[in-house]
Amino acid sequence: MFRRKQAPTSAAVSSSSSSGGVNHPAQAIARVKKEYVECQSDEGMKSCNIKLSLVEDSFVKLRGEIPGPLGTPFEGGVFQLLIDIPQNYPFNPPIVKFETKVWHPNVSSQTGVICLDILKDQWAAAMTLRTVMLSIQALMSTPEPDDPQDAVVANQYRSNREEYNRTAKYWTDVYARPGVSEDDVKIKQLMDMGFDEAKCKTALAKAKGNVEQAIEHLFA
Amino acid sequence: MKVRVKNWSAVAVWRWKVDDDTCGICRMAFDGCCTDCRLPGDECPLVWGQCKHCFHMHCILKWVHSPNANQLCPMCRQEWKF
Ligand SMILES: [Zn+2]
Ligand SMILES: [Zn+2]
Ligand SMILES: [Zn+2]
Repeated sequence: MFRRKQAPTSAAVSSSSSSGGVNHPAQAIARVKKEYVECQSDEGMKSCNIKLSLVEDSFVKLRGEIPGPLGTPFEGGVFQLLIDIPQNYPFNPPIVKFETKVWHPNVSSQTGVICLDILKDQWAAAMTLRTVMLSIQALMSTPEPDDPQDAVVANQYRSNREEYNRTAKYWTDVYARPGVSEDDVKIKQLMDMGFDEAKCKTALAKAKGNVEQAIEHLFA
Repeated sequence: MKVRVKNWSAVAVWRWKVDDDTCGICRMAFDGCCTDCRLPGDECPLVWGQCKHCFHMHCILKWVHSPNANQLCPMCRQEWKF
């Protein structure tokens, strides 16, 4: 099944961020505020390092942070999520997508849109942003390739698990390492081939960040 | 009478972490009113479903009329009946 009930969020993102919640009824804002306060003191969230923060202090746009679950190719990464609160929250689910690029069958590798039942037809008004974040973390541990958001990733997951694990880990290293830049990862890749750091940096600069070209420079 | 246990299976139940004295929809206390009302009292009554979950009437009516509800209780997802 290739469900895309969760519409691409660009429209929702721009409208809610510019309005700053002017169009949101007090009920939606009041509930998000309560959830936000509860999350800051929630022991369960702290113990698994899940964080929730405000974007622009408006309570209609938040940012979630989930550490990659241990024992998965996402281990060691920190993944940012963008959370948009719809005007009729909590009667409609929050619109959540990955801001950090991630290689996972249920997440679009292009847009970060997530295929998760509770963000669509299995949503219930008593669920919270906390429930959503914990469910997304669980989804990272246990992909559902039969309900994919990204067909390419899902096919790879089913047909070549080793390659999937490698790709997912590479994406984690490149995109989800706090304080580690994309260039650092590329340089490490080149150094793994036996060249010293200074040479690798020069080659990568010459190649304007293109790893294959940098390799050519190194072997030239 | 003697009862011998031949086998048993552990059953775990997932529960939403919600205090019994707050409405699971607006998350306001039951001794106050929902976020749409100003004053506590008769104008913002509480209702119980057959599943024994309690909500502000204003809140549960909004939920059952929303397209996501599918006639289910927002707490336990059993069929909602007043
Ligand atoms: Zn309520
Ligand atoms: Zn009310
Ligand atoms: Zn119920």
